[in-house]
Amino acid sequence: MTPPTRPLVEFHDVTVAYGRRPVVWNVDLVIDSPCLFGIIGPNGAGKSTLLKAALGLVPLVGGEVRFFGEPLGRVRSRVGYVPQRETVDWDFPVNVMDVVLMGTYGRLGWFRRPGDRERRLARECLDRVGLADVASRQIGRLSGGQQQRVFLARALAQQADIYFLDEPMAGVDVRSQERIFHVLDDLKAAGSLVVVVHHDLRTAAEWFDRVALVDRRVVASGRTIDTLTPENLQRTYAGHVDVLDDLAQAIAARGRTP
Amino acid sequence: MTAAAGILAHNTVVVALGVAAVGFAAGVVGSLCVLRKRALAGDAAAHATLVGVAGAFLATGRRDLATLLAGALVAACAGLGMLVLVRRFTRTRDDAATALVIGVSFGLGITLVSGLPAWGYANSAGLEQFLLGHTAALTARDAWLLAAVAAVAVAAVAAILKEATLVAFDAAFAAATGWPVSGIDYLIVGLVALMVVAGLPAVGAVLVTALVVIPPVAARFWTDRVGTMVVLSGLIGLAAAAVGVAASAARPGLATGPLVVIAAAGAFAVSFLCAPHRGWIARRAEAARGLTVRRGDDEGEAGR
Repeated sequence: MTPPTRPLVEFHDVTVAYGRRPVVWNVDLVIDSPCLFGIIGPNGAGKSTLLKAALGLVPLVGGEVRFFGEPLGRVRSRVGYVPQRETVDWDFPVNVMDVVLMGTYGRLGWFRRPGDRERRLARECLDRVGLADVASRQIGRLSGGQQQRVFLARALAQQADIYFLDEPMAGVDVRSQERIFHVLDDLKAAGSLVVVVHHDLRTAAEWFDRVALVDRRVVASGRTIDTLTPENLQRTYAGHVDVLDDLAQAIAARGRTP
Repeated sequence: MTAAAGILAHNTVVVALGVAAVGFAAGVVGSLCVLRKRALAGDAAAHATLVGVAGAFLATGRRDLATLLAGALVAACAGLGMLVLVRRFTRTRDDAATALVIGVSFGLGITLVSGLPAWGYANSAGLEQFLLGHTAALTARDAWLLAAVAAVAVAAVAAILKEATLVAFDAAFAAATGWPVSGIDYLIVGLVALMVVAGLPAVGAVLVTALVVIPPVAARFWTDRVGTMVVLSGLIGLAAAAVGVAASAARPGLATGPLVVIAAAGAFAVSFLCAPHRGWIARRAEAARGLTVRRGDDEGEAGR
């Protein structure tokens, strides 16, 4: 366990741009205890970009991100990652087990191949996401929800302390969503921090302990119950009339959660 | 049989084995290249090689295979370097940049190779054989050189298969978990350049990329595992190279390269039609039975 004096993740004045076009700017965010943390906002708000910037996948124009008080390079093995499902070619000639084993490569390092220990771990991770019986199936022959759970199992195989998930519920059936949220809840219970880029306000209100509302900058952040207020949501989604209905329901759902 | 005929036959066999080894290695390396979706990089490298062949001859005055191929390798890498530079500094898109490098470097290469005799380099005759490939001119010594290069390439793929597969499948995850993605990419493309150069004497600059691309594409039909695909692709490349060399030995007038490519295309056609599951016939049969490729039934499993 990390001493409480060092935040798990801190964004300090982070600005990210693609070419000359800034995508998110002046992001300050500190997460100091294990929880389920949602990054919420409209399409094109820069949520995924923020996540990728934290993982060093897109360069920062300004600011810095630290994990356990250290730069990412020194603690990479403690940070797990679930990319968006559409970013890979699911026709790739690998099976479910192969993909989950990729989660162990970081620890294995160059040239060492996964052995019995890694296979046992991968099997265990598949079991946790409910896919043990499709371990030898080619990954294209899975439903969207199953593919997403394969990615989650791969992140579990990283045995990290912080997990970043990029839109893990996009295009995923309700049952898979439930299963994924339960796995994330278990991770939190085991003392991990789980940061999820998420677009659905209803499930956000239901599952996340803390959220950051992002629309190119952080509009508001803190405990879900204090943050998902009508005013904050209006400010975040200003100009996104298409989600007004969602907003109303989210606010209603918020009333039901303790 | 006279002694001379015996030596000739021995030479043919050794050359065939050397070229077959190159075919195997090209198929193996090509698998990584195709899985990483860099099939055209090999083409850019291949078309740049002629400049290097001519350049090596001009610089050293020698025309032994090792010298010429060393020049070709330098030119192939330079061509790939140009590709990177054109993309980065002119904001030209990938496909256009590749076409540009292919065209320009090939034009330059043809000019040099065809111009040398006209400019009085009498002993430069034969360099144009690198255009379409011609194994009749190869010696046993040359074949050993090619086999050694093939062995190095296969060993390199065996060593980095885990890392290369990870990058090819999910580069973002690879980068997030600390792997040097561009380094591994350069290694893959570098190995492709090496195999393109090794395939040059037998298949020629115009067609050698087919030896890197067709075998893996054909192999993919038969298997859903990377490891199996790599080996199978190597075997298809080996068979295509062997058939091409044998056919051009039987008919000395025919260039080897086109025959190798036709043999590889035959393997592709058979794979596309006959492979179980992914082959055309199998898919038609499955569709006729009303069983489209079965996607996982989430309903059944999530409930458990």
